[in-house]
Amino acid sequence: MFWQQLINGLTLGATYALIALGYTMVYGIIQLINFAHGEIFMVGAFVGVLAITILKVNIFVAMFLAMLVCMALGVTAERIAYRPLRRSDRLAPLISAIGVSIFLQTLMTVIFGPQPQAFPQVVEDALYKLGPVQVSRVQIIILVVASFLMVGLHLIVKYVKIGKAMRAASEDYDTAALMGINVNRVISFTFALGSLLAAAGGVLVGMYFNSVFPLMGVQAGLKAFCAAVLGGIGSIPGAMLGGIFLGIAEVLGIAAGYGDYKDAVAFTLLILVLLFRPTGLLGRPVQRKV
Amino acid sequence: MMRRTWWLLAIAMLALVLVATGCGGGQADKGKPAQEQSATPSGETIKIGFLGAKTGNHASYGIETLKGMKMAADDINAAGGLLGKKVEIIEDDHRSNPSEAATVTQKLINNNKVVAIVGDPTTGITKVAGNIAQQSKVVLLSAGAVGPGVVEIGDYIFRDTLLDALAAPAVTKYCVETLGWKKVALVTSVNNDYSVGLTKIFKDALAKYGAQIVIEQSIKDGDQNFSAQVTNIKQKAVDGIVFTGYYTEGGLFMKEVRKQGLKQVMVGGDGLLSPKLWELGGNAVEGSMVYTGFYPDLNNAGEKTKAFVQAYQKANNNALPDMFSAQGYDAVMLIADAIKKANSADPSVFKNELAKTQNWQGVTGTISFGPNREPVKSPVFLLEVKEQKWAVKAVIPVTAQ
Repeated sequence: MFWQQLINGLTLGATYALIALGYTMVYGIIQLINFAHGEIFMVGAFVGVLAITILKVNIFVAMFLAMLVCMALGVTAERIAYRPLRRSDRLAPLISAIGVSIFLQTLMTVIFGPQPQAFPQVVEDALYKLGPVQVSRVQIIILVVASFLMVGLHLIVKYVKIGKAMRAASEDYDTAALMGINVNRVISFTFALGSLLAAAGGVLVGMYFNSVFPLMGVQAGLKAFCAAVLGGIGSIPGAMLGGIFLGIAEVLGIAAGYGDYKDAVAFTLLILVLLFRPTGLLGRPVQRKV
Repeated sequence: MMRRTWWLLAIAMLALVLVATGCGGGQADKGKPAQEQSATPSGETIKIGFLGAKTGNHASYGIETLKGMKMAADDINAAGGLLGKKVEIIEDDHRSNPSEAATVTQKLINNNKVVAIVGDPTTGITKVAGNIAQQSKVVLLSAGAVGPGVVEIGDYIFRDTLLDALAAPAVTKYCVETLGWKKVALVTSVNNDYSVGLTKIFKDALAKYGAQIVIEQSIKDGDQNFSAQVTNIKQKAVDGIVFTGYYTEGGLFMKEVRKQGLKQVMVGGDGLLSPKLWELGGNAVEGSMVYTGFYPDLNNAGEKTKAFVQAYQKANNNALPDMFSAQGYDAVMLIADAIKKANSADPSVFKNELAKTQNWQGVTGTISFGPNREPVKSPVFLLEVKEQKWAVKAVIPVTAQ
């Protein structure tokens, strides 16, 4: 029972983590909480549905297409709504992000209607016995794809040139620019990466929960944002840990009979962690510059 | 000085424009009933008002109710009318807006002099209009409200819908006695009033008929992930799942139930009654059951229902009538019968006849009003999902407790 619920929590947490990564990377570099990120995730899910129903492709091709569309969307949103405001007060891009989020929600509601759409059955249901627990094929796909993407992200950030530039920019934006790093390119790349992960998350969540609807990004985005802060916003391993931690906590909360409070779990945890570790689980301590 | 004059002028112009458009709108609204009135001078018809939405969120309920009402009026008039007069349906549109509904109710009573109002299909608006009708001593019969606090408003207020308080126990009895359910899981959507209320009714009924609730789980409207709740249910061997929420969560919940390898089916109220149930749930909702007060099933229908369904199909491109059109039809017929029996179209007189209605045969079944004017309707249709369609599983008779 406990192990079974742990698997449920891990699957849910992996999807939170995928979305949380986008929040954390963007924040790490330009200190912007991109509130439209949840909507990128939602658009990804819809692109997945369209790709499967119209183009009749398999789930992985659908995910790839969703990633492409969302990368373009993320980069465009940054160009139009955030870049012109980069040198203004920190509140301005935040409000702009909320605007983008509402715009995308409304647009999708107009196009697809407010009712949930079924996600087509693309993966045959099958249950595998693993010792005391049963894992469904969908859960395995989610866990494998999410780990694959996270490892990929880690390798890019650690070893690829543009990843190194990302780290430099997050360390000190202005100095990085002075050292000849094209910061605009780095920021666009960051948005592209974050949106790609969110799109994959959207398709996986659509497949797991069997439905997509225009407001699905609100709840998921909020939870993922919590996960990012929980892990220490700006920290990539922190976002992964925060997401998984949150997913497991939520599911165990329901398992223990506190289903009524399940959405409060995320926020209670957030408050507790921030009280005792203000920079999050893996956040760097704030350094005072003398 | 100059600037000030300009401002005054601008404000005056604005005020003029507002008054002009306001008046214009008002006249346009009044124009239509006035014309209808002049075509048939008052006194020659018995007027029944339609209170409902033709636009807005609940438009489909209102439009269907009105279709049924008009069919009833046509049938009455074709058979020679009522007390020697023709029945006329006065229609308006409150656009699914409670404050607009109050205005429409006033207008129906004061301007159109209706003797009865049929509507609104929703509980909230019925309560708003009910208070006005009660004060003005006009009969109001809701063809759709199921929530509490409706007939409590006063002795002019009625409704003709199947109440969950009667249907859920009847269905529970069927599940326990015919299907042999002994142990059930009960799933409630905690942020949905309807679901919370229905859960309470099911709990009492399950206790009464000797079934045991071995596990209770809560979900929320808008949730998509039910893996934890279903894993909890899986630990207990249950015979069936009682699900009191709406179709969206119902479909997705059953999908997770099948995904985790469980074979049980669910039963629920008419909150599950939508094709979206299988659009979202797919094969997972096959065999799941839903109750409803009306189902256009020609095989099991009585003469009246058959005639109604066929007439409706003829007028509506072969589409089948729903609960709302049938209840709208019955509402007008009930009022007409009461007027006939009382031999008077005065609401303060025929309301007493209406309250005495017993074993009255309508297109939605048999209707009796209890001492508190709450309807007892029989039968309850228990539908099940069969190859992505509704099929009648059982027709359960209901008696008042």
